[in-house]
Amino acid sequence: MKALIVDDEPLARRELRRLLAEFPGIEVVGEAGEVGEAAARIEAIAPDLLFLDIQMPGGSGFDLLARLDHVPRVIFTTAYDQHAVRAFEVNALDYLLKPIEPERLAAAVVKARSASEDRGAEARPSQILERLFVRDGSRCWLVPLREVSMLLAEGNYVRLFWGKERPLLGRPLNSLEQRLDPQCFFRANRRQIINLEFIEGVELGVGGQLHVQLRGGPEVDISRRQARLFRARMSV
Amino acid sequence: MPTLVYLALMDRPPTATSLKAPTTSVRVGPPTQTTRAYWTCQLLGWGLYGSSQAYSALATLPVPWERVLLEITLLNVSAIGLTQLLRKFMLHRGWTKLSMRQLLPRSVVASAIPGFLLGAAMHFMAVASLWGLEPARDAELLEALPPFLRNMDPLTHRTLNWSLAFFIWIALYMGITSVRDRHAAELRQSELTRALQSAELKLLKSQLNPHFLFNSLNSVRALIAEDPSRARDAVTQLAGLLRYTLRSHQEELVTLERELEAVGDYLALESLRLGERLRVDLDIAAEAQGVAIPVMLLQTVVENAIKHGIAELPGGGVLRISATLNDGALHIEVRNPRPAIAPPRQQQGSGLYNAAERLRLLFGARAGLELDLSHPEKATTRIRIPHADSPGLAQVSREGAHRR
Repeated sequence: MKALIVDDEPLARRELRRLLAEFPGIEVVGEAGEVGEAAARIEAIAPDLLFLDIQMPGGSGFDLLARLDHVPRVIFTTAYDQHAVRAFEVNALDYLLKPIEPERLAAAVVKARSASEDRGAEARPSQILERLFVRDGSRCWLVPLREVSMLLAEGNYVRLFWGKERPLLGRPLNSLEQRLDPQCFFRANRRQIINLEFIEGVELGVGGQLHVQLRGGPEVDISRRQARLFRARMSV
Repeated sequence: MPTLVYLALMDRPPTATSLKAPTTSVRVGPPTQTTRAYWTCQLLGWGLYGSSQAYSALATLPVPWERVLLEITLLNVSAIGLTQLLRKFMLHRGWTKLSMRQLLPRSVVASAIPGFLLGAAMHFMAVASLWGLEPARDAELLEALPPFLRNMDPLTHRTLNWSLAFFIWIALYMGITSVRDRHAAELRQSELTRALQSAELKLLKSQLNPHFLFNSLNSVRALIAEDPSRARDAVTQLAGLLRYTLRSHQEELVTLERELEAVGDYLALESLRLGERLRVDLDIAAEAQGVAIPVMLLQTVVENAIKHGIAELPGGGVLRISATLNDGALHIEVRNPRPAIAPPRQQQGSGLYNAAERLRLLFGARAGLELDLSHPEKATTRIRIPHADSPGLAQVSREGAHRR
């Protein structure tokens, strides 16, 4: 696995490098000291794994994630940070406390590796988004798109329907549409994109309209124009 | 001068026990001392009263002196016994808490009862006519008296006399206890105020930031592999700084020199993390070194300057600390660059607010701390601490220097 270390302290970066030298499966392909540099490196190298400090000059680790299109797997490294702990309440992101215990690091690496093997087999085209980093107020989520049942446009923002959470993403729906997995997501109408795997039932409406019932979510109308496409896809 | 009060507090460590001890001693008092004073007053008062009775009895009554002494002593010892009962009764009924209006009729009744007892007892004694007037001897005086007194029967007369004595006793007793209680309450109040202020000071005192602590430990671990001698230095600096923060729980004031030592350790550790990004420029006037300042005050300000200033800048910057002594005050200035747009998550200066509050508690309005953010990319913290020549302050500052 290719890993990138992002931390503003050179000493801390070198220490983590030394610790990671013990893990043959992890190849540290670079490091960065601040958010802008890190974003550039990530775009260039496309690492599988990110070791990310939270407090950095010129922007936090969360700022970095919010800037990225492709969020690699993230392991936060932090000395003592309430922000981080709050973020992890909602999410499966891993985190390590500095000074890092080798045992905790080993566990985190094993977890990262097994996660990458899960989906590693079918290499997907790199344009397709798998995870989205969403920051809404003081809360952060790293949302796996496969688990999102619906995306709803709200002006220039997008509301994600993810389990019980409804995080608001700061970009327009149209910019997302191209990057979503077409096997999964379908544009139901002007405002809504649905996840086909969440469909529970479909009803025929008046004038060729379709009503789709989503698992754990609302009923969605499929516009007449899209209904034909939908039938073809689902062979209804 | 509130300053003196606080400084007096500094002389002994304001622990809970040392503050409590005088409170209890004032309230209850060492029982022996109060009791002794009470009995001295009792014996002295009744002794004097008895003596005057004996004197007038011996002068006016045709009674043998042994008899006079015996009877007068008996009467006054009984009076002591009765007042003792009276005191118990008053304490039991909580008379000390009564208002004057409630107290007055109660005291009249309470003094009339023992007054009647002694008046009646005297009836069977040889000194019974002590206060009586002989028509033959005191004709002139009798003429002058109003008729109701002239015709008063001797028993009432004696009862009134003794009642008056008991009434005066009650008045004196209540007067003395109320003055003493009020004094105790005032003392307790001032002890309480001090305890509150010291608790407040303790709360306001800044702790070492855990983020800094763990980051430093991380740096030290990295240095153990890379540069063992710097690692050793860093451990020494960290130990020095920790010891200083721990000791800051016990003392309020230290010399600027001592505080600067701790700040030096802190800056050395921060420059391990920040490397080239942190540059420090110190300009401390020699005569300012010995001035007493609140412990951890400058440390808090410097930590703030790094956390919200230099550490937020990718290129770092210069931290300038200067201290001068003029107009009888110490002026400290801490200047640092800062990002023009502060990241929103920062809640700037709760540490600084506490530091300013602590300064106010210790030195009053003559001291001050202000954070000047008028320049968009710079922050300046100015501290003013009076350097009075008052003996209290000088003493503490010497003590602070001494403890090192």
